[in-house]
Amino acid sequence: MSSDTNDTSGTNGMSDGDGMTWHVAEDDLRAYARGELAAPMLWSADTHLLACARCRAQLAEVGDPVALDAGWERLDAELDVPRPGFLESLLVRMGVADHTARLLAATPVLRRSWLGAVVAVLVITVIAANAARTPESPAMFLALAPLLPLAGVALSYGPVLDPTYEMAVVSPMHGFRLLLIRTVPVLAVALVLNGLATLALPSYGLRALAWLLPALALTATGLALTPRLGPVLAPGLVGGTWIVLLVVAQRTTDETLAPYTAAGQGIAAAVAALAAGLFYLGRDRFDSTSARTPFAGYTDGGTA
Amino acid sequence: MSDLPTTPTVSASGLTLRYGGTAALDDVSVRLGEGVTGLLGPNGAGKTTLLRVLATAVPPDKGAFTVLGNDPGTTAGRQEVRRALGYLPQAPGFHPDFTAFEFVDYVAILKELTDRTARHREVRRVLDDVALSDVRGKRIKKLSGGMRQRVALAAALVGDPGFLVLDEPTVGLDPEQRMRFRELIARAGEGRTVLLSTHQTEDVAMLCHRVIVMVRGRVRFEGTPAELTARAAGRVWSSTERDPGAWAGWRTGTGSFRNVGEPPKDADLVEPTLEDGYLLTLDGEASEVAAA
Repeated sequence: MSSDTNDTSGTNGMSDGDGMTWHVAEDDLRAYARGELAAPMLWSADTHLLACARCRAQLAEVGDPVALDAGWERLDAELDVPRPGFLESLLVRMGVADHTARLLAATPVLRRSWLGAVVAVLVITVIAANAARTPESPAMFLALAPLLPLAGVALSYGPVLDPTYEMAVVSPMHGFRLLLIRTVPVLAVALVLNGLATLALPSYGLRALAWLLPALALTATGLALTPRLGPVLAPGLVGGTWIVLLVVAQRTTDETLAPYTAAGQGIAAAVAALAAGLFYLGRDRFDSTSARTPFAGYTDGGTA
Repeated sequence: MSDLPTTPTVSASGLTLRYGGTAALDDVSVRLGEGVTGLLGPNGAGKTTLLRVLATAVPPDKGAFTVLGNDPGTTAGRQEVRRALGYLPQAPGFHPDFTAFEFVDYVAILKELTDRTARHREVRRVLDDVALSDVRGKRIKKLSGGMRQRVALAAALVGDPGFLVLDEPTVGLDPEQRMRFRELIARAGEGRTVLLSTHQTEDVAMLCHRVIVMVRGRVRFEGTPAELTARAAGRVWSSTERDPGAWAGWRTGTGSFRNVGEPPKDADLVEPTLEDGYLLTLDGEASEVAAA
């Protein structure tokens, strides 16, 4: 929605005779009449047209009668639609398609409770790291930070936290697509929060960023194993292996732990790339559940 | 048993699914046609497993089935089955912060209705159908149990599916809500195939043109409700004391006992109900004796 900045009546940002501080641009009105005006501009037009007789009259002039009737029907329908929540509105304003925004709004780990828990864990870990002042690296933070995106992604799609999981499984939307729609923002949010926590550890410099590649490696490996092991066992196994690896590394050296060395970072990058490839190649296996291993169900030519 | 539907819309043969050593489905073959088919059986009979298999939530270990001519054994066929499917699971989950409208809209998106205007029109239509228009803006966590079930039914109906799978939708509803729900299911059964799992024989008597009874993962009866009722003809009698020879007996509101099983010679036979036929069907050996 753009205000009518070229309006010769001088309504740009100023109240005119009918009390309006702006009017819908003619191009937008034409798009509205054709049903081509997209949200959130569409919402603004809907709201404005209700109150503005001048724009309604102009709409009647620019649109053909059939399209206008359809427009009024759409307006009537829109008025019935409950306003979306904060997250959904924010996503739409950021340019996310409204149907994708709704799928994201249903993502369990994008709720405030989960995000609050992640922030709390990071704050405590950062405080502990600053208090300990270990010379080599913030060990506790670097051990924990890769696990948060792994857990977030694991919980974003699956029967553990998603109450509509079974409905999603039997829907025609491809499971891999739904998983990706939810994984990308969850991973992004987790990495941003981890990044902000890293900024709170300035004394370690770039060493405090050594969680990033392990985080990507763990998350990608968890996703790649999910079709075979299920959405609970796969990330659980990956997280457990990470912890065991750190414990073993700590017992074998007094210096920088192996995963945080240059070699360790290189291996993490390789694992992340390999697991991402396997995840993509196994995308069709996210299409269904089976009785024993969720996601590993139907395959072409199977018994069903 | 009566003839099977001549033009089945859903056809399954030899469906078998084992959980560990237990056969949840054991060589199950069914054919469904248009209208409401009831699925009766005790707990653990395999009703929910059969519904989940037919809804493509779980693949069977053995056997095959088609829904509206589509084979879910192939990716393309499975997509078509899912496009034609409306599914109300046994314990439907909701995103509690969603309103009724948002939840149905969410399911509509999962069903690939991405055009906002058309999708919202469809959501309004199904919410109207289940008489929830007035509360469409209310959060689901603030709705009553009956209303939530209707929201779940609306979600199942969105997209006008040709095959509707309903898993015990009337559980936990009070009598008035149950009656309303029956009206909705009866209307939903017009022009589409509905498979209704239930513990309530009244649901079957009032709604279904066919009924399937499952016991221990197998189909024990398939036919019309009248045929199931007829199984108990001459095998239900009234007495002043519980008859020890009866397979089941209980005191009725009038004080007399209603007995089901093999009646004594001088028994005071009474008109059987669908429930009597169902109970006798569960008692496998008794049915076999009677059939002979």
